[in-house]
Amino acid sequence: MQFRYSLETLTVVAIVGFCIVFLYTSSTMSGAEFAGSDTVGSQLTLKLSGTPEEHFRPLIPQWEPPSSEIEASLFALQAAVGGILVGGVFGYWIGLKKKG
Amino acid sequence: MHIMEGGLSWQWCLVWWVIALPCLVYGIHQLKKTLAADREALPLLGVTGGFIFILSSLKLPSVTGSCSHPTGTGLSAISFGPWITSLVCTVVLLFQSLFLAHGGLSVLGANIVSMGLVGPLAGYTIYRLLRETSIGIYPTVFFVTALTDIFTYVTTSLELALAYPSETGGVAGSFILYLAVFAVTQIPLAIVEGIVFALVFKYIITLKPDILIRLNIFSEEKINAIRSEF
Repeated sequence: MQFRYSLETLTVVAIVGFCIVFLYTSSTMSGAEFAGSDTVGSQLTLKLSGTPEEHFRPLIPQWEPPSSEIEASLFALQAAVGGILVGGVFGYWIGLKKKG
Repeated sequence: MHIMEGGLSWQWCLVWWVIALPCLVYGIHQLKKTLAADREALPLLGVTGGFIFILSSLKLPSVTGSCSHPTGTGLSAISFGPWITSLVCTVVLLFQSLFLAHGGLSVLGANIVSMGLVGPLAGYTIYRLLRETSIGIYPTVFFVTALTDIFTYVTTSLELALAYPSETGGVAGSFILYLAVFAVTQIPLAIVEGIVFALVFKYIITLKPDILIRLNIFSEEKINAIRSEF
């Protein structure tokens, strides 16, 4: 008989393993800034284009969050919208199942 | 995987918009058709869209010393195919362009093509191939969601390489450089994303197996085989 929670166990092991690998690499890697890959990609673009950073201007003017704190809260808002959707639907399905 | 606003010339922006727009129109057509056929598909669309919202907001550190975010588009690609997935992605990318300065309106077409189209299209193709084999549902979901994620970043690398070929290696040389930044960082994240989505799929099978059968996502035999294990 198969263990009922094997997938749950695998998921926990994968997430914990990922965290351990991150903690190990972050403590042993020199010069790791853990910047976003988008930022690292943009730096590569600047290098490949040979254009100074100040020459890169938005084609369409863009609003930017005034601080990293506000940016973080907007990212949290995005995650919250997703969480409400997922939680709401799973709750709806559980309700339907209980009703039979 | 977001290309920054101003990161592409207007000519390249136009090219990617021209590719993205007809696919979005077809996505609207597909969505109308799917919902007209079965209204119960809407909650499943909510779940798949919800995961795109959650996962694309999580910037996670990777073993390469930089951070990246999963895309969360694989579940939608399996459930609704790439065209409807491109629509859901457009909503997320628009939110991030307008409120987070991640991506931008001019490069939205390019970002839709990578995250909403090519990644999910690649994942959907793999799903169609694996669905007909004896490979189980969980490994299928794992491979599709992980590879959808990676193909998204491969496409971003190609979009940037085409716009910024390196002096020595041309487009190919530049592509390898961008791959090293984007795709390599993404591999460990994609593996964890694949495992998490396999678990999510288990709960969908537990709670709403009939919608998966009605939408012909997996065969009744395969779903019943899994349910008998619960």
